Amino acid sequence: MHFKFIRIIAKQEWLSIFRIKTPLALYSVLLALMLLATFTGWQYVNTFNKQQAQAREEVHDHWMNQPNRHPHRVAHYGYLVFREKSPLSFFDFGLDSYVGNSVFLEAHRQNTVNMSEAGFSNGMLRFGQLSMASVFQLLIPLFIIFIGFQTIAGLKQNGVLKILLCQRASYYDILIGKTLGLAAVSWALFLPLLFTALIGGVFLLNGNITPQTGLNIGILLFSYGLYLFIISMMVVAVSALSSSGANSLVVSVLIWILCFVIIPKGAQTLGNYLFQAPDKIAFEHSIEEEISKEGDSHNPDDPHFAELKNKTLKKYGVDSVQNLPVNYGALVMQEGENISSGIFNRHFDQLIKTYKAQNSIATILGFLDPYLAMRNVSMSISGVDFETFSEFQKQTEHYRFNKTKNLNEIHLTQIDYKNDRDQKVGQSNWQQMAEFSFKPFSLSQTMKNSLWGFISLILWTLSGFFVLQYISTLRKYQL
Amino acid sequence: MLEAKNLSKSYGSHKALNNLNLTIGPGEIFALLGQNGAGKTTTINLFLGFIEPTSGIALINGISVAENPQETKKHLAYIPETVMLYPNLTGLENLEYFSSLAGFDYSKQDLSELLATAGLQNQAFKQRLGGYSKGMRQKVGIAIAVAKKAKVLLLDEPTSGLDPKASNEFSEILKNLTLHGTAILMATHDIFRAREVASRIGIMNQGHLQSVLDAGSISANELEDLYLKTV
Repeated sequence: MHFKFIRIIAKQEWLSIFRIKTPLALYSVLLALMLLATFTGWQYVNTFNKQQAQAREEVHDHWMNQPNRHPHRVAHYGYLVFREKSPLSFFDFGLDSYVGNSVFLEAHRQNTVNMSEAGFSNGMLRFGQLSMASVFQLLIPLFIIFIGFQTIAGLKQNGVLKILLCQRASYYDILIGKTLGLAAVSWALFLPLLFTALIGGVFLLNGNITPQTGLNIGILLFSYGLYLFIISMMVVAVSALSSSGANSLVVSVLIWILCFVIIPKGAQTLGNYLFQAPDKIAFEHSIEEEISKEGDSHNPDDPHFAELKNKTLKKYGVDSVQNLPVNYGALVMQEGENISSGIFNRHFDQLIKTYKAQNSIATILGFLDPYLAMRNVSMSISGVDFETFSEFQKQTEHYRFNKTKNLNEIHLTQIDYKNDRDQKVGQSNWQQMAEFSFKPFSLSQTMKNSLWGFISLILWTLSGFFVLQYISTLRKYQL
Repeated sequence: MLEAKNLSKSYGSHKALNNLNLTIGPGEIFALLGQNGAGKTTTINLFLGFIEPTSGIALINGISVAENPQETKKHLAYIPETVMLYPNLTGLENLEYFSSLAGFDYSKQDLSELLATAGLQNQAFKQRLGGYSKGMRQKVGIAIAVAKKAKVLLLDEPTSGLDPKASNEFSEILKNLTLHGTAILMATHDIFRAREVASRIGIMNQGHLQSVLDAGSISANELEDLYLKTV
């Protein structure tokens, strides 16, 4: 490898691309699309955040303004928790439009997240929204194909490659130089745009940029840069293997269809087929069934609760629940809560495991298809991936459990067993409870979630060098 | 110096080149005559290292082409039938690009002189190659070859499609190069031009080098008769 020759070839590639008008026309179309995608994405998240904030405030006000009440009534009064959009969700929608945005938290019941955009919106969304990320992942590779399919095949057709190979630069230098030239053009045209859109978008949405978001933006820029380089390598490799520009274009477009349409759809279908997940009704039904087996707190003859009663009486050394220093009703309630919450968590974990197994197909196929790898990395870094969503569900259940437990605690200690239902406690009891706030993944957790995606991108880059090296040694691809 | 020893190339049962023995010394121009498919381009491609011989060996300055294609390429330059370079670059930029890839770092002044020596008119230097005539492009091709300071020059029908004046200028440049000790192998259809410029002439047919003659010892008419008899 001669870096001097590689640099000269890359520079020449750069110059000759910018001297033709077609790429620039294509670029302006993409530019318009991207600006539109960014703007609509940004506007959507902005409106969404405002509505969420308003709804959150309303729910909170209702909660705070409850009059003095019996704690169990408060527990049933319920609380609505809203999912906040991650700061970068305007760039990459990921699963955001398909998973729910709010969950109703109440005692005894573990509700799953409800109300997604896809569930309510009209046809537009079902066709798939156009996000800036999808323009980057899907359309820019097409752009690189169009500016690059001729890069070697065209030189073969007009005989320039022969003259070029008679100079001192090796074929490998030429292939690497061409790759770098193509990648440099795509970097120059698109990465500054990405940087500006991300920084500007986050700043306009949140008014500031936290160090973590800043770091995430950096990681996104780096991985998209790598992605464009990988695509350039693929385009150059196909061009070097083709005898004419027309062949190169046809093969590149076929590979595009394979990698960007067929494999991703196939990954999803295969995942669903191999690891079947219950639908929502079946999921909730199986939880209810299991809970009803565990014991019914409202049935005094239930063996599980009869044992709890005996144990409690023994512990406090009294002979009837009326003589207990604590409220036995609250104790029963918390026990029921423990049981149902445990069952729910177990089922939920199982469900998450199934979904993760489904997603693992896409992760594995990322080694065959750089688009899948990039899509997974981009979703994780933007905080719109499946992991973030299931984390939200987990945190809400945790919050719900603690809140109910807290209310049961108040019930246990401040309400007498006798005439239980007629008593009330002051509103300050629940007004002091912390509001729910979603804690997003730490950087290291995010990196862990997208680790396989990164590994495939890096492997793609390394094997790209090997493949180009191999092609350069074959005489039949020099003519 | 160019040397072929029992050089053969087969594609399946078809013998594109059959047992070629040939030596071209410094300062010599060897013209290969023959019909399309006679094996001229195969011979040149074997010396360029783009194809591997089935048997025998091609040597450039005593180095085997098949074993060290990267090394032998340092010593040679190649001009195809149609020099298609980068149409979006000017003549000067094309020359600069190719000579820098040959490892030379010429100044603008040097590059202009090279183009002028190759016979390109001054006002064309800074025009894009896309607007050049075939003869003008061929001259840039010569300048690229000369800039490489190669001692071996391989030409594949370099004068086909050139007008007589351009063709004549081309011959003069080749003769000039031989004065500096360049060995030239030229495949051509042009019997008249071959006799004019070459020191020796070979006639090929169906992969065989049928006859080799001194250009000075034969007239154009005699050569044409021999050619027509051979093919």
